[in-house]
Amino acid sequence: MINTNFKESLHALIAPLGAIALTMALGFLLVAAISDEPVLAYRELLFANFDSLSNFALFLNRATPLVLISVGITFAFRAGVFNVGGEGQLFAGAIATTAVGIAFAGLPAIILFPLAVITGIAAGAAVGWVPGILKVKLGVDEVVVTLMLNTIVLLFTSYLVNQVIRDTTAYGAVSWKLPEHIWLPTIPGIPGATSGFMIAVVLSLVSWVVLFRTQWGTEVRSAGTNLRYAEAVGIAAGRRVITAMLIAGGFAGLAGALYVLGIGHRFEQNFSPEYGLIALTCALLARVNPAASLFTALYYALMLNGAAYMQISTEVPRSLVILLTGLLVLLMTARLTRKGSNNQTFDAF
Amino acid sequence: MDHDNILVLDGIAKQFGDIVALEHVDLSVRRGEVHVVCGENGAGKSTLMNILVGIHAPDGGKITFNGKETTIRDPLAAGDMGIGMVHQHFTLVPSMSVAENLFLGHHLRRFGIFSDRRAMVERAGTLIDTYSFALDPEAIVSTLSVGQRQRVEILKALVFDAELLILDEPTAVLTPPEVEELLKVITNLRDRGRTVLFITHKLREVKAVSDRVTILRRGKNISTHITKIVTENDIARDMVGRDVFLMGRQGQGVRTFGNNVLQLENVSITNSDGRLLLDGINLDVRAGEVLGVAGVDGNGQTELAEAIAGLIPIQAGTIRLDGADINNASVAERQEAGLGFVPEDRLDRGLSRNMSIAENMAATNYLREGILWRGFVDKGRLAEFTQKGIEQFDIRGAKPGLAVGSLSGGNMQKVVLAREFARDPKVLLVSQPTRGLDIGASEFVYSEVLSAADKGNGILLISSELSEIFALADRIAVIYSGRIMQILTREDADEETVGILMNGGKEQAA
Repeated sequence: MINTNFKESLHALIAPLGAIALTMALGFLLVAAISDEPVLAYRELLFANFDSLSNFALFLNRATPLVLISVGITFAFRAGVFNVGGEGQLFAGAIATTAVGIAFAGLPAIILFPLAVITGIAAGAAVGWVPGILKVKLGVDEVVVTLMLNTIVLLFTSYLVNQVIRDTTAYGAVSWKLPEHIWLPTIPGIPGATSGFMIAVVLSLVSWVVLFRTQWGTEVRSAGTNLRYAEAVGIAAGRRVITAMLIAGGFAGLAGALYVLGIGHRFEQNFSPEYGLIALTCALLARVNPAASLFTALYYALMLNGAAYMQISTEVPRSLVILLTGLLVLLMTARLTRKGSNNQTFDAF
Repeated sequence: MDHDNILVLDGIAKQFGDIVALEHVDLSVRRGEVHVVCGENGAGKSTLMNILVGIHAPDGGKITFNGKETTIRDPLAAGDMGIGMVHQHFTLVPSMSVAENLFLGHHLRRFGIFSDRRAMVERAGTLIDTYSFALDPEAIVSTLSVGQRQRVEILKALVFDAELLILDEPTAVLTPPEVEELLKVITNLRDRGRTVLFITHKLREVKAVSDRVTILRRGKNISTHITKIVTENDIARDMVGRDVFLMGRQGQGVRTFGNNVLQLENVSITNSDGRLLLDGINLDVRAGEVLGVAGVDGNGQTELAEAIAGLIPIQAGTIRLDGADINNASVAERQEAGLGFVPEDRLDRGLSRNMSIAENMAATNYLREGILWRGFVDKGRLAEFTQKGIEQFDIRGAKPGLAVGSLSGGNMQKVVLAREFARDPKVLLVSQPTRGLDIGASEFVYSEVLSAADKGNGILLISSELSEIFALADRIAVIYSGRIMQILTREDADEETVGILMNGGKEQAA
């Protein structure tokens, strides 16, 4: 049984790995066309992340929010909700954690840390709950709601960070620093790398078990693939959809909380290079599989940071990465179907 | 006499990889007849038709059309030769008008460039009148009913003078009254000199419409009969390859039943507009009994089933399961209390096609079958349970991990039955259980339903197929416009009485 599961997993990996390899090969041709030093550019893009421990730490820090948000989005997608609100949920979590951390700076870490994290999760979940309940109770389209909520939350946090908790001694729209005693420790041996990454890894694996090996997960997926069927076999389908959206928002909120606690140590209005949208792509590329989205998130983090190094060392612009990731999405969606493999179930992994 | 044959096929063979779709098919179609090709799912009917319209090339054999041996390269060539095909799935542009669809790709032109709208509408109108199709040539296709769209499909084939018209299972998507209309249309086409090749596996349609019938089984033509002098049983035997038992219990004598296991007392449902969908329904089903609810689709059957299953609330009345009031019980609680539910549309409420066979079959059985351990799914037990169901219900080509959507309709229905029968429910609510199934699969469903009744389960069978009701039911309730018109014992019921009641008790227009 374990053996076949392993084989299935391996099988599921072949297609995305092939697409990534093909993307990189096509990308290399592009770089060769515009640069005199294509090999150097590509080396920077792919391997500069591993040149030093500090680069590696930045890479892990970049991946942490992506993993968390895309795992959360997986719950939403599996429940049939197309949640594009990761960004808003992330910001809600980040600002809530920051606010609590600053407001109750005097509390001891053992109380304040969990309080700050839970507030962040709750804020993200609350933002996720709105489209969930609107969809289930009133049939409101979740794409519209989540997109609008992104703007609402982003502008609201902008107001807060500029008008209420702004660090007047610093440049830019940033909040006061969080008290040092609730900062998240770094990973032992990798200075600068947030231990939030380890939390993200554990949660992505736990999420896989929850979605594919528990009754609750089965019920969520039933509701997501065919709501009317789920109702007919006695599943409280609407409730599962709403819970899945709470979890999706909670994960993004946690990503925001861990970012401010472990990486930024304060709320910065421009801390996110659209993590929410990139995570959405990660989740889709991972075929809505939380364990696989761990890898797609790492890949995106690698590309995002690698592009910066590439731009510094060669004249290749970092926007090349946007092109490459676009190409990847294209190749992944235009999936090649081998003869006889179309019987494979979507959920078999 | 060879010259009155419009089409002669001689030893047509086709293979896809290792699978032999057609082994050796001979077929001759006379000019001006309605010729039915029938066979079980997978007998090769569709492959044969696809060869005739040039979608597939045959591996062997000879096609003679209008006396000349031909090869049909592609669908366009088939059209030019005068072979028109009406596919099971429509190929219309919903946002365009009927006339525009008819001339799509062959617009009539004025001065060689401008589309001549008026001429097209006129010609469409003439055509519609010729065949008395009752269509507005300027109506937008998306506003038409399924039956009307099909007539547009047929016109599309006729507009360029198809001599031979092929209809591929045209009734699969139609409601019973629309089927009646279509059969009239086909007769009308023949009367106007067209030749019709009609693909179906429904015996009633064969008898109703055809002059001759050819039966395919496993890629070979088994026999050709003149329809008038062949019985439905003979056709069925040739299709399945053995004697078919679709007669149910007829003539098995008096049976005895137990207590009431399902009771409906004055159950009413009003929709949001205040219209009564169910109007004071009183029904009871006894243990071991099959109560058939007959009626034309859309007279409240869907609401009746969903109300009993707990999917929609009732506004008045009481539903009792084994004596206990279940009005306020959830779907899951009703299942726990002993209700099994086979929904009318397996792809709507019955199954989740992207999930595995195992997950679909286990959906209502996790706890009872010990597949769960503290909320976790025991994959070993799940596979075991599914394998048992697959064997018991003879679900071909099934493995627990496959997506249920990869199965054929009949095998999908068996997954639903396996799930619902596994609980040995006191009451089985079975809605349209053989819709879209071929004879072999229908026979299997019938025998499962009857053996469940023999075990003492009470069965409420909702069906719009009269033959099904008469084959299975011990008593027959006729539903019309949300009301139960009358409940008859089978001894007292005959098709004519039930048919009149199904139309509201009025005499049918002759």
